[in-house]
Amino acid sequence: MGTGPVLDPAVIDTLRQLTAPGEPDVLTEVLKLFLDEVPARMARLRNAWAAGNIEEVHRAAHSLKGSAGNIGAHGMFEICKQLDGIGRSGGLQAAGPLIDALGAEFGKVEVEIRRLTAA
Amino acid sequence: MVPLPVLVADDEPVSRTVVSAMLKKAGYPVILANDGEQAWKKLDAADSPSLALLDWEMPGLQGPEVVERIRKRASQAPIYVILLTSRDSSADIVRGLRAGADDYVTKPANEDELVARVNVGARVVQLQIALADRVRSLEEALANVKALQTLLPMCAYCKSIRNDQNYWEKVETYFSQHSNVSFTHSYCPNCYERFVRPELEALEDARAAQDKQKRG
Repeated sequence: MGTGPVLDPAVIDTLRQLTAPGEPDVLTEVLKLFLDEVPARMARLRNAWAAGNIEEVHRAAHSLKGSAGNIGAHGMFEICKQLDGIGRSGGLQAAGPLIDALGAEFGKVEVEIRRLTAA
Repeated sequence: MVPLPVLVADDEPVSRTVVSAMLKKAGYPVILANDGEQAWKKLDAADSPSLALLDWEMPGLQGPEVVERIRKRASQAPIYVILLTSRDSSADIVRGLRAGADDYVTKPANEDELVARVNVGARVVQLQIALADRVRSLEEALANVKALQTLLPMCAYCKSIRNDQNYWEKVETYFSQHSNVSFTHSYCPNCYERFVRPELEALEDARAAQDKQKRG
């Protein structure tokens, strides 16, 4: 995982240019939303996995995949895609290491977001 | 033309914010819904937007279920629905379109593609609205034609026509109100012989009598 940039610069650039005149900055808003929303959903994912709730693992992974895709967090997106696949097909054993990897990748994304929004 | 408002329904805040920013930048007013139930309420309202972007996976009502409800309701106001989906297998796409969606966009949405597809939707809705207006004016015209084909009570002597409110109207008034007919006044050869010629001759005689008087 994570050979490319943590956040895709092309996606970040598109978000930066979405701000309409007189509106709050879209990039800042979206990145802030991401940091606000993701930890709770990661916790939900981990709990669902621990409880063996496949349907909920699928749902949480799917929604995290959507968020990650929207900010160009390709590493997180790919891990969520695999988790989403597991959620659908039913085998939970493989999900543990993926959830750990997702947590690590989120750490990197968080650092990158703080760097971007501080600038 | 005034841009049509677009409903954006997505339970996932990051995606909802990005998609609505893309549409706002393209000039569309955006109405937000946080889940399928909210989306359905806003689309079932009398002032419903006629363009909708619905996320496929939402808690409660999912995108395709919202579309099914829209298509089953009695109101005929057109709503163009685009499903937002990360499902890209063709079986899923066919399911969404069969449920009644007009189009789909895969997530994460590409700005240019999303706006282009919403523009297509706006064009379709505007055509539908224009067509409905045209049908309405044709139906009105047809109603007038039918009114003219019924029996008209007409006075045998003065030729006035009794209208629906029981008033006697001149033929000209009646027809100009019930059709696009307008009248120019003239006279037929028979009436020329019967009315116009005697009047002209009477005038001639009067003038001749006057001249004779002046000379005498």
